[in-house]
Amino acid sequence: MNTEDEYDVIVVGAGHSGCEAAYAASCMGLETCLITIHLETIAQMSCNPAIGGLAKGHLVREIDALGGIMGLLADETGIQFRLLNRSRGGAVQAPRAQSDKALYRQTMKTWLERIPHLTLFQGIVTEILVKGNKVTGVMTLDWNRVFGKTVILSPGTFLNGLIHIGLHSYSAGRANELASRELSDNLKKLGLKTFRLKTGTPMRLHKQTIDWKHFTPQPGDKKPIPFSFRTQKELENKIICYIGYTNSKTHEIIRKNLDKSPLYSGKITGIGIRYCPSIEDKVVKFPHHSRHQFFLEPEGMDTEEIYVNGLSSSLPFEIQKKILKSIPGLDQAKILRPAYGIEYDAVVPTQLYPTLETRKIKNLFLAGQINGTSGYEEAAAQGLMAGINAALKIKKQKPFILCRDEAYIGVLIDDLISKGVEEPYRLFTSRAEYRILLRIDNADKRLIKYGYRYGLIEEKEYEVFLKKQEKINKTMAFLQKEKIKTKSNETISLKDFLKKPEVKLENVLEYKKFKFNLTDEEIRHIESEVKYEGYLKKQEKEIARIRKIDKEKIPKEVDYGKIPGFTQEVREKLEKFRPQTIGEAKKIPGITPAAIVNLHVYLNIQKREKCST
Amino acid sequence: MFEETIIAISTPLGYGGLGIVRLSGKKSLSIAKKIFKPKKQKAKIKPLRPILGNLYDFEQKEFFEEAYLTYFPQPSTYTREDMVEISCHGSPIILEEIIRIGIKAGARHANPGEFTLRAYIRGRIDILQAEAINDIIQASSLKQAKISFKQLEGSLSRKIASLRKNIIHLLSQIEASIEFPEERLRISPKQILKTIENTIQGIKKLIESYILGKTLSKGLTLAITGRTNVGKSTLFNSLLERERAIVTPYPGTTRDYLQERTKIKDSIFSLIDMAGITTPSHPVEKEGIKRGKKLLSDADGVLLLFDTSQNETLEDFKLLKQCKNKKPLLLFNKIDLPLRMNKEKVKDQGKNLPSLEISALKGTNLEKLKAKIHKIFVPNQNQGEEVILHLRQKLLLEEILDCLRGGGRLLKEGYTEEIIAEEIRKIIPLISQLTGEIKADEIINDIFNRFCVGK
Repeated sequence: MNTEDEYDVIVVGAGHSGCEAAYAASCMGLETCLITIHLETIAQMSCNPAIGGLAKGHLVREIDALGGIMGLLADETGIQFRLLNRSRGGAVQAPRAQSDKALYRQTMKTWLERIPHLTLFQGIVTEILVKGNKVTGVMTLDWNRVFGKTVILSPGTFLNGLIHIGLHSYSAGRANELASRELSDNLKKLGLKTFRLKTGTPMRLHKQTIDWKHFTPQPGDKKPIPFSFRTQKELENKIICYIGYTNSKTHEIIRKNLDKSPLYSGKITGIGIRYCPSIEDKVVKFPHHSRHQFFLEPEGMDTEEIYVNGLSSSLPFEIQKKILKSIPGLDQAKILRPAYGIEYDAVVPTQLYPTLETRKIKNLFLAGQINGTSGYEEAAAQGLMAGINAALKIKKQKPFILCRDEAYIGVLIDDLISKGVEEPYRLFTSRAEYRILLRIDNADKRLIKYGYRYGLIEEKEYEVFLKKQEKINKTMAFLQKEKIKTKSNETISLKDFLKKPEVKLENVLEYKKFKFNLTDEEIRHIESEVKYEGYLKKQEKEIARIRKIDKEKIPKEVDYGKIPGFTQEVREKLEKFRPQTIGEAKKIPGITPAAIVNLHVYLNIQKREKCST
Repeated sequence: MFEETIIAISTPLGYGGLGIVRLSGKKSLSIAKKIFKPKKQKAKIKPLRPILGNLYDFEQKEFFEEAYLTYFPQPSTYTREDMVEISCHGSPIILEEIIRIGIKAGARHANPGEFTLRAYIRGRIDILQAEAINDIIQASSLKQAKISFKQLEGSLSRKIASLRKNIIHLLSQIEASIEFPEERLRISPKQILKTIENTIQGIKKLIESYILGKTLSKGLTLAITGRTNVGKSTLFNSLLERERAIVTPYPGTTRDYLQERTKIKDSIFSLIDMAGITTPSHPVEKEGIKRGKKLLSDADGVLLLFDTSQNETLEDFKLLKQCKNKKPLLLFNKIDLPLRMNKEKVKDQGKNLPSLEISALKGTNLEKLKAKIHKIFVPNQNQGEEVILHLRQKLLLEEILDCLRGGGRLLKEGYTEEIIAEEIRKIIPLISQLTGEIKADEIINDIFNRFCVGK
């Protein structure tokens, strides 16, 4: 390649975040270069062979509505599909799929390779090139310089990664893969604050060495639901997962060998993830539990590798073997890859703008685990947003920022940049203030307009959406208009009838014939809209109220020193950033909600005093 | 608003042995120096050291009163601002003069409760404590002052903190069941309902204590009733320790009711002297009796008087029957006169009701009566049971109660957890008005501390 060429966007790291970033930027017409240590491991699933779940499935749907690739790819390479929380309401239902890891990787590579404006490049980035306080490109280990107007960093666990098995450790980004060591030091030199995090992965076993009769099968859904609004093909369940349990013998082995755990012996200093605790964490923290559940998940169709979801560990290999020996059905199991823990560097995310650009270095964006998150979906969501924003910056267009009330992506990024993280951050539905509003069944309604605006959603796809919306609107009007008599002889609309907790849209159909031919997707959407109507209306009102406050202007001449009740930190930050509105003040990292209330009250008192004098 | 220096009289209005004026704010000391001159000319005002001097009207250039001044530098003061206390003779005229000159020297008269407001704003005390201080200032009974003090120490804050913890527990239970459908946590709606109901019980107890708090701060109403001319007004006056009601030997002297506050033991009572219940002959009397009946039914306690110097009458029994459910204290009055009443017969009618023989006129057994009133009518305060003193807190608790009840009701009707969560999450902003804000992370932390989840 000609290293003197200047790209618009350089993406460093081709994991779930980097791929989305590169995809978005190149689809928006910008010359993009995606640099990865190994072209073979693009979009590698470092941990579990699955995508989705609560909140994560929500993210994938949102990524899809914005025109990202994760949803399409998960559907394309999925081998088992389930919709979680079917017994609950639409707001907390989310898809989850087992993926064929190798196929996922290969398909991503093929797709990316065929995108115009996108160049894949193999190399280890060691340095960010900066002129003044603006990025100019990157330097690789083999002294190749790649120039670019913007750089998106998404190195994942490769950023100064250190693998632990027992008390042994070695530098790596994934088992036996080169870590990116110099880059972390370079970031510190550039003035970015970093900290250390820890995560882990369980062992992989050989399928034929497992005695399967000891485990309970967990099949996929009869009628799989796709991640993507755009997936056309019928999804098919090709594999079955199995559920098993540890026992008191297992726990005894773990307890006896805690001194050999790098975490409990104090060797690991990074902050561990509670959301994916290792088996030793579970045993220590819940001593009264006599067993812990785990899942046996195939890693793909063309492999015999089985992922043991729930037995993540950094105990020595010998102890891992003993653990398996204690579990009937796994007692003969051969470990193909041992479990390990990994420490890596992350950048304190409060140093970012909501666009994921660093405040310190212009045109440098960070996305994924480097911002302290965990999970493929969290990474992909950030990658997409960084990619879009890098492109918009070059095009000199307004940045793209999602609010907490319009997408989980907004919740995720706002949490990161305003609160920071102390342990690997995982999204939960309970982190959203407006959970009833942020559903998988309305992700397109909420977000597709943006995907369309930025050219990531094609005209044809958008038309399909508009048609769907029209059909839904007509159905809603029909439900509102048509009345029935209930058993208690009261006349109510079909809509009100559908609001009852036990009633489904198909029950409504028994009373009045529909001329609309609704898909399952549309049915779920209509049910949610009707059943949650009261809550949705209230939340929309609340959102409008808050938006109004956000728009309130802060007078230029305001003296923050005169406002009582601020901490030194809050005062300094407000003085430094001098926000023009309450909404802007909210976005400043370290400004607490209490400080916002204080500021708002003070400004109102001032206003009133001005009026009365 | 808060950068100004404020001034106010901090001792109660009226003449007292001592009066105190306080200043708070940046300019406290410089204002004090303008209006106060130490006796020893070279003496300097030192922090936390009272200094003797004279108050000085700098406009008229004359001294007008001797006083002690103490300077309290920030931040270890009540308001966390510079403060100055001037103590002198408790004459309202002098105290008001100090305020007048203080204002001339640059201070602003404090708004009601502004010292406490500043303490709250500067983070010196939490809002519950701020309210408690206001109560100490306005406490009308010793018991209330004690309760206020206890609250100041944070016992109510602790109660609320424990309520907050319960709410977090409840939310984490619901959220865990939503977020981890694959982990077999076995959190059934029944279990959630149980947590909701337990929380409701806790809040109800707190709300009940509000009623106790109200009676203690506003006073219990105690109605004195009985047929005409049994000596109600005489008793009223002797309990008040002054001649408030007009007393004559003629029946029906009191045609309307009278109400006065008085202290019995260490509690405040609002005493009501009722018109004797009889067949009314005059419209005024009629109205008085009608109002009396309402008062009787609203009263917290009833003293039912009988005249032992007269034969018991049908009217006596009628009255006894009427207010039996109010559990009145039966008072056999006029024991200084020859006995004509069959007391046993009356007592028999009022079975299990407490009684006492008195002479309101002579003051016989008056102390015993006071003790008895206190024992019977002042609600027992359980050890460690805190009292909610403010309507604001009670209203918030009631709103929280509504949310919990709403959540419980929907759960019973078969609505799923995410809807229940919406109801319960409404509590978060409510409880943060009582105590610290509940953040999403706290609920997630609670989930991971209580449930073994995550793969």
